[in-house]
Amino acid sequence: MIQAIQVLILGLALGGVYALMSSGMTLIFGVMRIVNLAHSAFIIMAAYIAFWLFNLLHVDPILSIVLTMPMMFVVGMLYYRILFASRADNPRFIDITVLITFASSLVVEGLLAFFFTGIYRSTTPDYAKRSFNFGPFFVPESQLFATVISIVLILGLWLFLRYTRVGSAIRATMQNRNAAQVVGVNVTWVSTLAFGIGLAMAGASGSLLSFIFTFFPAKHVAWIGMIMCLVVLGGMGSLMGALVSSFLLAAASAYVNFYIGSAWSPITFYLALFLILLFRPQGLFGKKVEV
Amino acid sequence: MAVNTGADLAQRQDAPLRPSKANPWIKNGLPLGVLAFLAVLPVFQIANDGLNYWLHMLLYVFLYVIMSSSWNIIGGYAGYISLGHNVFFAFGAYFAGMLFVYLRISPFLMAPVAGILAMLGGLAFGLIALRTRGTAFIISTIALVLLTIEVLDNWPLTGGTNGLAMSLISLEGQYAKIPFYYYLLAIMILTILASYFIKHSKFGLGLRAISQDETKAEVAGIPTRQYKILAFGISGLFIGMAGAIWGCYLTYLRPSIFLTVALGTSIVLNAILGGKGTVSGPVIGTAIMIAVNEVVVAKLGASELNIVVTGMILILVLLFFPDGIVGSLRARNRLPSFLDWD
Repeated sequence: MIQAIQVLILGLALGGVYALMSSGMTLIFGVMRIVNLAHSAFIIMAAYIAFWLFNLLHVDPILSIVLTMPMMFVVGMLYYRILFASRADNPRFIDITVLITFASSLVVEGLLAFFFTGIYRSTTPDYAKRSFNFGPFFVPESQLFATVISIVLILGLWLFLRYTRVGSAIRATMQNRNAAQVVGVNVTWVSTLAFGIGLAMAGASGSLLSFIFTFFPAKHVAWIGMIMCLVVLGGMGSLMGALVSSFLLAAASAYVNFYIGSAWSPITFYLALFLILLFRPQGLFGKKVEV
Repeated sequence: MAVNTGADLAQRQDAPLRPSKANPWIKNGLPLGVLAFLAVLPVFQIANDGLNYWLHMLLYVFLYVIMSSSWNIIGGYAGYISLGHNVFFAFGAYFAGMLFVYLRISPFLMAPVAGILAMLGGLAFGLIALRTRGTAFIISTIALVLLTIEVLDNWPLTGGTNGLAMSLISLEGQYAKIPFYYYLLAIMILTILASYFIKHSKFGLGLRAISQDETKAEVAGIPTRQYKILAFGISGLFIGMAGAIWGCYLTYLRPSIFLTVALGTSIVLNAILGGKGTVSGPVIGTAIMIAVNEVVVAKLGASELNIVVTGMILILVLLFFPDGIVGSLRARNRLPSFLDWD
């Protein structure tokens, strides 16, 4: 029993980071119907920024969020402006956007591999080696910090969307792009902003991932698979769904990892994806839309 | 800004075919001449060693034409973009490879079986994944690749990440490539013929209707679900066969050879660059991309930049050139008759 609870704790301690990774992608999908398959490539880009800040300037990876978030925010806005903005209103363009983001992920991967080689990296702040004990249980400090910060950021995003004027405009655009435009929302600007915010979330998760996992440029493929499963399971475009499915799958894969074998824990994600596509294609929290 | 989209593309392709004023000697003669040249090329290699590099490059061309043309059946005609077609390739290679390693059955015999099994696998996957459309379908095909990687990496019979080693074919270096060459050439011709006949059948018409407006197609009485699943299965058939042969040609099988993202993307890029939904498009796109890749690798020498170039070309083609070479030329009425295989 104690063991089962311990496994659950370790699983949930990763859930927050998963949620942060998928929150940006689900936001981007919600506003623009663009599935950003380059999301994890940008996460790894941010992880590299955190890595070099830590190694060259001894900046704590958690602190580096202050830099990675604005940097990726700008990258996100430029990325959207250059590739997608002029075509966003064309419904036939949506299928093509998936291929474009996928191709972008290859470009980012190739450039990262060219400049930083394929060596496995991770940052090693002091807390990456410590763990926090309470009673018979323990949780690694790195995972605890990362999950707490992730939840704070997601909460911040939620409050921003809920209680600010810009947030209302973003939510309006999510619900109905044309209607939002009719009532005076500048959807192009809102989309650009949302893309920036989505990638800022990716930037923050890159900083946090840098001390939880090892990473290398080609790793983004495995992560995008995982993030996609989380986003689809939660319901594409639903922030709540991304949060719930992240903790759900983090716990499930922790159990699979412990009781069946570490090799099979990624398969948990893909099986969940196929099951949800089979029985509830709109996801747990999604509205029934054509995706 | 006017944008070329799939809809325009599909409409243009379905414009009534103009009566061909082209000289039939050029229209049919040039492709057949190239084919005849390809058929006799190994004779020179037998007579006088030294063409192995060219045979190797042509083997690559045949392989990628098989894959892109097959992809075109579901991705081009029906408009369901799959980024996971290399799973069929891996399946064929591993199926034939395992039979060869454990039971000593020749991959040359098992290639058709591998193809048929790959097709059945495609039908089964299609049954699940083709319940979704658009982006959700694309995501499920990527998940299929990742799932297959996990299985191959962890299943002891497939040798895990170390892979399987197969013994060399017992032919001298001078002749070693020739059986593979003819086998893949034959599969390639079959694939192109299948692509042609599907496009000109009622089935192909149904697929093209699906790519334009699936709901209307269904209202018009087309069994869209069966058609899509069948198209997905057929597109696996030839790739599975080619995989069986290619595994034997490489003499070793490893998930990192067959299931790379770059390979899955190349299949799509070749077809789109040439012109998706056309018979000759995937062939032309493949020939160009293999030449480009060869130059990039020779000049820049870095496989990382190879991925960058592949990604950049795909982005540029999608943004500015979504009809591909054949589609764009046809829209401007400039398509040379020998490239018009529709």
